[in-house]
Amino acid sequence: MKFSLVAETLKFMEGTTKRLELTKYLVDLFKITPPEIISHVVYLLQGKLRPDHEGIEMGIAEKIAIKAISKSAGVPIKKIQQEYNKLGDFGQAASKILEQKTQTTFLTQDITVERVYDTLYKIAELKGARSQDMKMKYISSLLNDATPIEAGFILKIITNSLRLGIADFTILDSLAIAFTGTKENRGMLEHAYNVSSDLGKVASAVAKNGIEAIKNFQVAVFSPVRPMLAERVKSPQEAHEKMGAEFAAEYKLDGERVQVHLQGEKIILYSRSLENITNYYPDIVEKISRAINAKEVILEAEAVAINEDSGEFLAFQELMHRRRKYGVTKAVSQYPITVNFFDVMFVDSKSCLNLSYKERRKMLEKLVKEDTFAKLVPMIIVKNDNDVEDFLENAINAGCEGLMLKQLDGIYKAGARGSNWLKIKREYRNELGDSLDLVVIGAFYGRGRRTGKYGALLLGTYNNETDTFPSICKVGTGFTDESLDQFYQILSDKITIKKNPRIESGLEADVWFEPEVVIEIVASEITLSPIHKTAMDTIRKGSGLALRFPKFTGRIRLEKTPENATTDQEIISLYNGQKRAVQEEKKQNYL
Amino acid sequence: MVFSAKTSGSDEWKAVISAISTLVEEATFEATGEGIAFRGMDPSHVALIDIAWPNSAFEKYECDNDVKFGVRIDEFSKLIKRADKKDSIEVSISEENLLLVTIGKNKKYKMRLIESSATDTPLPKISYNARIGVTSTEFDKILGDIQVVSEYLSISATASKAEFSGRGDSGEAVITLEKGMVEMPEIGVKEESTATYSLEYLNSIVKAVGTVAGTVICEYSTKMPLRLEFKVANIGRIHFYLAPRVES
Repeated sequence: MKFSLVAETLKFMEGTTKRLELTKYLVDLFKITPPEIISHVVYLLQGKLRPDHEGIEMGIAEKIAIKAISKSAGVPIKKIQQEYNKLGDFGQAASKILEQKTQTTFLTQDITVERVYDTLYKIAELKGARSQDMKMKYISSLLNDATPIEAGFILKIITNSLRLGIADFTILDSLAIAFTGTKENRGMLEHAYNVSSDLGKVASAVAKNGIEAIKNFQVAVFSPVRPMLAERVKSPQEAHEKMGAEFAAEYKLDGERVQVHLQGEKIILYSRSLENITNYYPDIVEKISRAINAKEVILEAEAVAINEDSGEFLAFQELMHRRRKYGVTKAVSQYPITVNFFDVMFVDSKSCLNLSYKERRKMLEKLVKEDTFAKLVPMIIVKNDNDVEDFLENAINAGCEGLMLKQLDGIYKAGARGSNWLKIKREYRNELGDSLDLVVIGAFYGRGRRTGKYGALLLGTYNNETDTFPSICKVGTGFTDESLDQFYQILSDKITIKKNPRIESGLEADVWFEPEVVIEIVASEITLSPIHKTAMDTIRKGSGLALRFPKFTGRIRLEKTPENATTDQEIISLYNGQKRAVQEEKKQNYL
Repeated sequence: MVFSAKTSGSDEWKAVISAISTLVEEATFEATGEGIAFRGMDPSHVALIDIAWPNSAFEKYECDNDVKFGVRIDEFSKLIKRADKKDSIEVSISEENLLLVTIGKNKKYKMRLIESSATDTPLPKISYNARIGVTSTEFDKILGDIQVVSEYLSISATASKAEFSGRGDSGEAVITLEKGMVEMPEIGVKEESTATYSLEYLNSIVKAVGTVAGTVICEYSTKMPLRLEFKVANIGRIHFYLAPRVES
C-alpha cells in the first residue's frame, strides 16, 4: 500500500477537529487498506509500532530526526531549527526544508506503508554504540525517497507529534463503520479491545473476518486487560446517592496497581497503563505462586511499600526506588512490599469479568492464601450511613489514600470509568476536596536558592476531546530541595526545542517538556482565568479555568500516563460543584 | 565443500571490516575460486562499497564451491581486534555452519553466522570523465581543510589542475593541486567536470582505509557519482561509490 494514501488522509484529518469528519476520513482509509497491514496503519496512526504492553518503542529523539533531515536535504541543522521555530510544527518545517533536497541516491524505492513500518521497526530494534548513527541513516533512507509531504508525516509519526485529536474510540467507531457497516457494533469492538489491549489486533481481525472474528476475543493470560476505573465522589453522602444503601468498601491503598498474570511457573506483571513491569518486582515473581490456589489466573492487586518492622504502609514514592535498570535487587531488599489482591479477572481458562463483584470477591478469597507477603485488600459491606465515614477514617489512619466503593452486583467493566466503582479520597484541607493529577508541560528557571534548578513548573490538564494538554496553573510551592533536584533530573530528558503542539499555553515557559510526567496537586479553588487554557470558552467565552493556591503534594505519579491526568471535563464538573457549594452557603447565611 | 582463506597478518581484515562498518551493520561475503568479494549499500542508498579480494592476495586460499557467509560487523570486528598485527588469520566455515577464525598459532574462535538478507546490489553504470590520483595523506588533509567551513566537498578538474572547494555560512575554502605536484601523481580529464559530495561519508571511509592505501583514485563526472579506489597491499582494491549532491 502506498504511504501517500496514509499521508493524504493525515493531511485531511489535520484540517478538522470535528469527530464525524475525522471518523469519515478514517473509514475511507480503512476501506482501501489491505487487511494484512491494517494493524500497521492503526499503530502508526497512534504513533506506535506495537501495543504498549509489548514495550517496543520508537525511541527517536527530535535531535536525531533533525540530523536526518539535515543529511537528506543538505541544509545545516541550525537552519532547520530556525524553520521549526518559525512554523511551530515539526512536520511542516521538515516538508518545507525537504523541498530543497539535494542529496541524490543510487536506488529509489517506493515509499509504502510496509516499508515505513518495517524501517521504523528496524530502528526500534537497534541497540548499542553506533545505533544513533544507524537510526539516522534509516530515517534518512525514508526521507530520501519520500515526497516532502510524506516525509513530514513520517517525521511526525516517529517523533510522536501527530496531532490528530483522535482517541481510541474514534478508531473503534471507524473500524465498526468500515467493516461491519454500522457504528452499532462499536460496543463489541470495544470489548475486544478491552480484553486484548491491542487496537491493531482488533483492526486486523475485523478487517479480515468481520464481526464474527470479534466475538472470539476473550480474556487470556499474558494479554493484559484494560483496567476498570472509578469515578470520584467528594463525600459519603454523594456515595450513598449514587450507590444505594448497600455496597462494598475497600481500602484504597497508596501503591502501584498491578495486573498479575500467572500460568504455572510463568508470571508477568502489568502496570495500570499496561506496561510490562515484571522486572521491578522480582519478589512478587518469586513469592506469589505459593499463595495462589490456581494454575492459571489473572488477578489485580495493589503493591504497597511497607515498613517491615511495624507492618505499616509507606507512601507510594518508596516504590519508585525500584524503577531502575540496574540495582533492582538492592532496591527490592531496601524497600519491601506486600501485595494486596482486590479482584480476579480470569481463573483456569474462564473469564470472570461478567461475574458480580460479590462472586468475584468470594472467588478471590478462595484463590489467595494470605501470608506475610500476599494479602487481601481489607473490605467491608456498607450497611449503615456511618459505615463509610468510619471505614474511611480507619483507612486513612492505616496510611491509605481513601476508599474504593463497589456495587455488589456490578460486573467488571474493563477499560471503563463507570459509577459501578467510586473512589473517595482523604479530605485535604482545601475547598476542592480532592487532589488533581496534572501534566508537567513547562518550567521556569528559579532564582535565589533555586538558581540552576526550576523555580516553578507549568502544569496542564488533559483534554480528551482534542487530545491536547491545556495549561491550568504555575506551581512553585510544595517542593523540597530534594524534590527540586529530582525534578531537574527527571525533566531534563523531556526537554523539547519547541513547544509540543499538543500543549496549549498562554504563558511562555523558559523550557518546554514532552508532556509525560504527571504530578499530584492540591489547590484551594478553581477560578476563571484569562491566561490558562483548560476548559477554554466553556464556562465563559475567552476564559479558561485556573487553580488558585496550587501546591505540590510531593507525589510524582510515575504510574500514570499523561492521558490519565485530570481531564478538562473533571475540572469543569469540580468548578460547577464548587459554585453550587458557594451558592448553598450563601443561601444558608441569608436564612 | 572446502573453503579456507589465510592472511599472514591481521591488518587486511581490519581494513576490510572498518571500511564495511562505515556503511552497514551486517555484511555478506561471497567466496569463490577467485577470492572473496563484498558489496553493500548504506541504508540511505547514498554510498556503496565494492571490495574484490583476489586469491593471490592471501597466503593460502582454497575454495572449491562458491559460498556466501553473513556476519554482524560489530561481532566480527571485536573478534578480529583480538589479533596482534603480526598474527595470521585463517577463516573457514564449519560443518555446523559456524565461522571458524584461527588467530595466530593458538587462538580459535567459532562465530555464529547470520542469514544473509542482502539482495544483490547492482553497481552504478557510469562513464567517468575525470580521473585524479591523490596520495592518501594529502586527500585526508584536503578533507580536513574543507571541513573547517563546509559539510560538502566540490571537486573541479581541468586538464592541468584539480580544485577542491567548500562553502558554508562562515566562508569558503579552496585547495588547488597542479599537474606534476607530488601530492597528485595522476590527472586525466576527458571533459572538465564539477560535482559536490557529502564530507561525512568521505571522511569516514578515508579514516577507515586511507591509512593503509598509498594513493586514492577519484573518478567522477559533472553531477554524477564519485568512485574512490583504494589500492591496499594484500587486499586488492576497494571501490567506494558516493551519490552526488545536486542543487535543484
